[in-house]
Amino acid sequence: MTQRIQIGAVFIIIHLSFGYLVYPNLVYVLTKTAHWEVVMCQCFLELVLIWIYMKGLNYFPENDVIDIFLKMGRWAVIMFLTPFVIHLIALVALNIRLHTEVIISIFLPRTPYWSIMALLFFISVYTAIKGLGTILRSSIFIFLIVFPLVLFNIFSSFINFDLNNVTLGWNSPPKFLLNKNFCYLLGFSSFLFLGFMTSKTKLTFRPFFIAWVSVTLFFLSVVYIPLYIFGQEPVVVMTHPFMEAMDSIDISWFSFNRQPLFFGLSLIGLVILANAVILWMIGRIMQKMLKCSKGESSYWIIAFSVIAFIFALFIPNKTLMEKWFLYSTGAQAYLMIIIPCTIFIYGFLSKRGVVGNEKK
Amino acid sequence: MKNIVKEIESKFSNHDDFFIEEELVDKTAIYLIGFNTLVDLPKSKLYVQQMAASSTSLKVLLTNLSDQINVDTAQIIKSVLEGKLVIVSKDDEENAVIDPIAQNLSSSIEEPKNESPIQSSTDAFGEDININVGMIRKSLNTERLCHCSYQVGELEKRKLSMLYVKGRAPNDLIEKVNQQLNQIKSDIETIDDLNKQFGQRRLSPVSHLFATELPVQAIHSLKKNRIVLFLDNCPFALVFPHLVWDMLSSVNDRNFPFVLSFMLRLFRVIGVVATLILPALYVALVSVNPEVFKTDLALFVLKSREGIPLSAFLETIAMVVLVDLILEAIVRLPKSVGPAITMVGGVILGQAVVEAKLVSNLLVIVITAIVIASSAVIGMQNSLYIRLLKYPILILASLFGILGVFTGFIFTIIYLASLTSNDIPYLTFRIEQKGDTK
Repeated sequence: MTQRIQIGAVFIIIHLSFGYLVYPNLVYVLTKTAHWEVVMCQCFLELVLIWIYMKGLNYFPENDVIDIFLKMGRWAVIMFLTPFVIHLIALVALNIRLHTEVIISIFLPRTPYWSIMALLFFISVYTAIKGLGTILRSSIFIFLIVFPLVLFNIFSSFINFDLNNVTLGWNSPPKFLLNKNFCYLLGFSSFLFLGFMTSKTKLTFRPFFIAWVSVTLFFLSVVYIPLYIFGQEPVVVMTHPFMEAMDSIDISWFSFNRQPLFFGLSLIGLVILANAVILWMIGRIMQKMLKCSKGESSYWIIAFSVIAFIFALFIPNKTLMEKWFLYSTGAQAYLMIIIPCTIFIYGFLSKRGVVGNEKK
Repeated sequence: MKNIVKEIESKFSNHDDFFIEEELVDKTAIYLIGFNTLVDLPKSKLYVQQMAASSTSLKVLLTNLSDQINVDTAQIIKSVLEGKLVIVSKDDEENAVIDPIAQNLSSSIEEPKNESPIQSSTDAFGEDININVGMIRKSLNTERLCHCSYQVGELEKRKLSMLYVKGRAPNDLIEKVNQQLNQIKSDIETIDDLNKQFGQRRLSPVSHLFATELPVQAIHSLKKNRIVLFLDNCPFALVFPHLVWDMLSSVNDRNFPFVLSFMLRLFRVIGVVATLILPALYVALVSVNPEVFKTDLALFVLKSREGIPLSAFLETIAMVVLVDLILEAIVRLPKSVGPAITMVGGVILGQAVVEAKLVSNLLVIVITAIVIASSAVIGMQNSLYIRLLKYPILILASLFGILGVFTGFIFTIIYLASLTSNDIPYLTFRIEQKGDTK
């Protein structure tokens, strides 16, 4: 039970980490009215995918995604998981770069970004090396620290709301579904890590439903807070609408001057854990793919994190980075549909196969 | 004098407290052998003579005195070392190991010295291992309380006891601890020596064992599926494994209504967090990120540092080290000098440091707060490690400001989350897994 709560916390943290920064921008690009429709569509699609994924995973109790692909054959691992690893490395690099950029702009405008990146990287790598248990246990505590900050961000923004800025409408037919940006949007819901944590506990759908509901509410608030404060037209041109929304808030009785401070603090906690999970996934895949021991997998984690660090260091400018980030989420969306479906179909087929074998 | 006695005598030739007394019992000469530092000789002699008066022969006397009769030389030597009295007949044919009237070397049950329980019994564990186990047995009289004893060490054989409640402590944990205790090769002098047997944590401030003086606490831990170890001559119950909850809650809290005990625990949490981040936050807010405050507050903070030559980091680290030095020194001081030093340290030094404009008023408040806060947690050991962990955060804060404070804090949590003893993580609140009752 405890472990399910912990996995739920990781689920929420990863979504928050990706959702805070780029999510609102993508939604604003997709539609001019009825933003909630976009968010709900994306979240429902995700829920369906999670359901398929869990159904597929539950065909193979006490196996994780890599074991299942190994059952299909070595070719399947190489075919499906090698692109996944490459994608994850890129994701780590882009994710940390994007977050560092924001963190620097909030806290330390004069500090070189490599030093902050190195600090965050070091902690993520350390967590990843220590393994799943450490990630899960610390996730609860980080969640308990970060969640009040997130709530504070959301609730403190109410004082700046101008309800005339947005009216809730209804878009029919939903044209945005055909837009390629919707594909990017889907890429933000990263639930693929669930399949890597199943070797010890059996996943059940219900606790994730609660996590999913809270994530959906969070996404809605992230999208609507800047909208209610600024309105649709200014929001589209902003680079980080949520941060600027925070910056516009001024609570007179509060002793802190800048509200984005709390936004930045929550980002730190989120990005450290999100990257730790991704790096751990990379280590896990390499460990099982190459059949090395636990100690060796930490070398893989270090090696890949160094690659990611160098990659993040040499991204020349911000616009290019955001472009790449979009491509990477596109790849994520692709993998998110492919991997759960493959596992589900394979599980379904092999279950029939097993029944057939028993009859013989 | 025959072989055995000679052999023993030569073995102990360079022990001045060793005695061989010749005694006449029933017209046969016997030798009484032992250490007079461990055996109360006159009283024991009297006892033997009284017993002899009511016995018909030497053989009957020895059977009356002991059930260890006619043992071999090695066993005799071992018994002598353990403080037993050995009787050997002159013709070397019969011998016996008897429990003598021992010298009184252990103190009686006293009040706890390192912990001060409120609204609770004030017994504390003493140095004798049997008394300690007895204290537990007396309050927890169930047949499910199991006791395994060990003799460990290379130079000396030190007694070690493991207690657990069958059906509560997880079986594989008991098995593993049993194995680890049986594997001990070196001498166990301190708790840290024992700690090393449970896995290397050389650079870690967090011990595998939680030491408590209070039987109530030890019994509570036993009921909560844990193992309690006793070491001879160590007036503590060593609870294994040590969990983070030990730092925040004591069983005596629950002598108050739930709301009050919740409040106490909440204050301890605040104490831990404050000790970890307050000095770092001071450095971050004063030197790196002063702009996060509202203007008037920022001005106030800067004003309090006006004219101070040291940088905020140096100022803080100097004060923090100084305070930790004072705390350490007060422990070592004799009780009669302690209060005087406290006064000099607290009042005169504090006042002088502020008036000389070496540190700011604000920092003095921060330092006082963390010193008090760090003692809010339960257990001296826990308070010490919390005090140690504030230094890395302080250094990070001086480099990265608030970002450093937060990453340092998160890193501390991740570090603590990574600690396990025998696969039981440090950051759990209780051991859920239960053992079999079979």
